[in-house]
Amino acid sequence: MRDRGADVIPGGIDPTVLPDMSRRAHSAHRVALVVTAVFLIAGLAWVFITDVLLYDVSRDRILVARIETAKGWIFIGLASLLLYAVTFRSAARLDRVRRLTVAAIESIGDGVLLLGHDRTVAYANPAAARMLRCPSADLIGMNVADFSRRFRVSYPDGALVPPERYASQRAFDEGGPLQYSAVLHPPGGPELVISATAAGVRMVVGAPAVWVVSVMHDITDTDRLERLRDQFFAAAAHSLKTPVAVIKAEAQLLLPSQSPDDRRRTESIARQCDRIDRLVQNLLVLSRARSRSLELHPSALELRPLIERISSEQVWSYRHDVRAEVTGSPSLKADPERLALAIRNLLYEASRLSPTDSRLTLLARPEGDRIAVGVRYQPLPWRDQVTEVYGEYDDIGIGRSVAQTIVEGHGGSLSDEATDSERTSWIHLPAFEGVHL
Amino acid sequence: MNRCNDVLIVDDDADMLEVMELVLRDAGYATRAVLNGRQALDAVASGMPRLILLDMLMPVMNGWQFAREFRARYGKEVPIVVATAAEHLRARSDGLDASDVLPKPFEVAELLRVIGRHVPAPRPATPT
Repeated sequence: MRDRGADVIPGGIDPTVLPDMSRRAHSAHRVALVVTAVFLIAGLAWVFITDVLLYDVSRDRILVARIETAKGWIFIGLASLLLYAVTFRSAARLDRVRRLTVAAIESIGDGVLLLGHDRTVAYANPAAARMLRCPSADLIGMNVADFSRRFRVSYPDGALVPPERYASQRAFDEGGPLQYSAVLHPPGGPELVISATAAGVRMVVGAPAVWVVSVMHDITDTDRLERLRDQFFAAAAHSLKTPVAVIKAEAQLLLPSQSPDDRRRTESIARQCDRIDRLVQNLLVLSRARSRSLELHPSALELRPLIERISSEQVWSYRHDVRAEVTGSPSLKADPERLALAIRNLLYEASRLSPTDSRLTLLARPEGDRIAVGVRYQPLPWRDQVTEVYGEYDDIGIGRSVAQTIVEGHGGSLSDEATDSERTSWIHLPAFEGVHL
Repeated sequence: MNRCNDVLIVDDDADMLEVMELVLRDAGYATRAVLNGRQALDAVASGMPRLILLDMLMPVMNGWQFAREFRARYGKEVPIVVATAAEHLRARSDGLDASDVLPKPFEVAELLRVIGRHVPAPRPATPT
């Protein structure tokens, strides 16, 4: 169920923020116009007022000429001072922003690469140099072909990421930000699992990016922990299944020689063994789904034998009257183990939410291009309150969540249908096609 | 090759071995029990069983290693029934030429039904 391609991050930066950047550009233009206009008006006023005053106080042409020259020098001096003040203030502000930006980027633990319009690396922060085990200076000017040769980048399944599929390259032409998980193989260093994100800097909405910022977030430790957790769950599941299998088999061997009371107790032991087994499988699926490592192994599957087998488990698993109603010959492409777990979860949920000894009906039938599998039961009057109490982390809540994960992993859906006297949990799956892994 | 008319049970859990032997003997099968794939190869060398009931996750030599070695040496004549708690056992047993797959925990009746598909029970199983 891993996603191999780079995708636009859901909920990422909205491109509509770009007009805001355009507004800022307009604002800078207006400020420049105002400053120029003020300078022009002040200059004209200076020339006009001083000329009027000068010709009022003196008719000596030589004196007037000298004063005019002095006025010119004073004007140039004042204008130079003003220009210096404005330029100094703007440059100081730009320098402060630049220093702040550089300090912020250099202090980030994630690797940051800045690519210019020629699609080569224009800047690499220290974290990027550390992750790539390469001095920043060597990265500057590197194009995507050089980068892919020097640092092998692969998908988590081992397939190499083609250079043109790098998020940093796609971000020049596509919206964004773009993100995918990849494995980086720096020369002479351990491989790193990274979450790579890239976004383009555009001066006009819809135009090609002039810069691209690419961020590499190291998720190696998280990935390793998730793998360890998966291994732990798998080992725990295997370790628990064997003792459960022994207890259940021994209990079944005791049955023929027992009194009715002892038989009920032994059946209860077997039922609880099944419950533990289902819980272990559910926890395993939940863990795999959380770490996005859930695997489905679909194969062509006739539903009738599966449905009949599950309904025949009633003696050990349920105190209800479990019936199977299979219409036609429904068949699909599905992972038999996982689908059986999803159906057992819904059957168990129905057994908990219906009166003991009532009927549970397991249904299967083709519906156009879909296959419907249902569990029909008579709900307890206080079913809704019971469901609330069970919540997300009770085994009913876990079972429902796991069933949904499995069904959706097969490209299907899970829904409920209720009448006054009956309730049916439906699994709808594509017939033969539409299996998504 | 020396042939034994029995079922060879391979599982690293002694209690599991005991209960499977008990069930199969009750149904009239002769059985041998070993704890890993290496012992299973030795047992096969001393006498070919009619069926091998094989766990997959075992120390010394696991089920996959045993099955590969066994098929390479003796071909596909003897059915192998995989009985395991491992995940995706059907998908993962495809490469083993397994005749059947039995997920743990299993019903006693299901164990007998699966074995009976390949080696008919010498006498009817005790209903449970």
